[in-house]
Amino acid sequence: MAEEGKYSKAADLPEELREHLGALILVLADNKRLLGMRYSDWILGAPALEAGIACSAMAQDEWGHGRIFYAMLRDFGQDPNQLEHRRESPEYRSIELLDGPADGWTDLLALNLLLDSALSVQCEAMAESRFEPVHYKVSKLLDEERFHFEHSRGWVARLGSTESGREAMRRAFAPAWEVCVRWFGPDDDEVARALCDGGLTDKDAAGLRARWLERVAPVVESVGLGLAEADGGAWRSRVAPAWDEWDSDVRRGREGGPDADTLVRVRGDKNRSLLMD
Amino acid sequence: MDFSAVLAETIGEGRALPPPPEWAEPPVDLAERARRAMYEVSDPEFAISLADLGLIYGVSADETIGVVTVELTFTAMACPCTDFIKWDVRDRLLREPGIERVDVEVVWHPPWTTARISARGRRILEDAGIALIT
Repeated sequence: MAEEGKYSKAADLPEELREHLGALILVLADNKRLLGMRYSDWILGAPALEAGIACSAMAQDEWGHGRIFYAMLRDFGQDPNQLEHRRESPEYRSIELLDGPADGWTDLLALNLLLDSALSVQCEAMAESRFEPVHYKVSKLLDEERFHFEHSRGWVARLGSTESGREAMRRAFAPAWEVCVRWFGPDDDEVARALCDGGLTDKDAAGLRARWLERVAPVVESVGLGLAEADGGAWRSRVAPAWDEWDSDVRRGREGGPDADTLVRVRGDKNRSLLMD
Repeated sequence: MDFSAVLAETIGEGRALPPPPEWAEPPVDLAERARRAMYEVSDPEFAISLADLGLIYGVSADETIGVVTVELTFTAMACPCTDFIKWDVRDRLLREPGIERVDVEVVWHPPWTTARISARGRRILEDAGIALIT
């Protein structure tokens, strides 16, 4: 039984909100599943044993969160098994940065700080959601995410203490920044606005981006990556998002999707015969 | 492929749990018996019961049809032992007279932290040489 003004199941949501929320949950599920895979690529071969172990723990967290989000979609009339294991590349809702591997440690670090924080900001916006199944899961999820941010912050400071480290980060962070700053959608995005007005999230796209900037901009600018600047009391991106190819429904550019190798791995094609649930 | 037979053979016996608490009163109803049984189901990684670890959020029972519902959480959202724990809970409860069916509901709110470990659980972990960071 839902508390007054809350929704205990998807069927209780007004149709339009149900559609928007279902789409958002799939966006989060796909991004977390693929981000977890990118972390797992660095369990062996990270610059320090501790970093590899951290990647292992972060991969585990992201896969757990992904699984929970996929499972939630059952209530929206979708089949989690099909979503997790049987889709083609263009059906994925993951950000462009996850289409292929993170080639270097600084690329992975850009995902760790910029993308992982963006996903957390989006989840945080649902902490007090009127949709109870989300509301009741987000605080645990955010508890687990705290160390992901600390991990990235620590590594940015560490690499940022040398000029070569700063240069490597500038190269890796610039393209990732451009994609992440766009990921929340245009300031006037109608879907984000509707979710916020419906009490399912607490900020529209502009508010979410501002919250993300508040979190990541001080970190990247503490080592002078030149991506953001303080504008009065707020942080502003120095890179304007490019909207010409943007598709609000899938939260990415219109073309593309996970590459062939990524798709085989993320769907678990090799182990399909061992699926237990 | 159905792995349940293989798994049943290969899980093996866990380390012995400390004895459950000594209860002053006999159990009054099915739900209470089920609740107490949760002190006899071990966490797969440490020799501490799920109840002492603070993972059991609620136990209710419908005595007339013998259905017990257990609300439990896990220490992490990607806990690798979720299936084992659910199976162990079911396995233990189905050995309890009067229980015909066990429903396990996974909940995440309020989030589990080490603060949810009981005083008894803390002693058990300390005895096993595990220090808690709170």
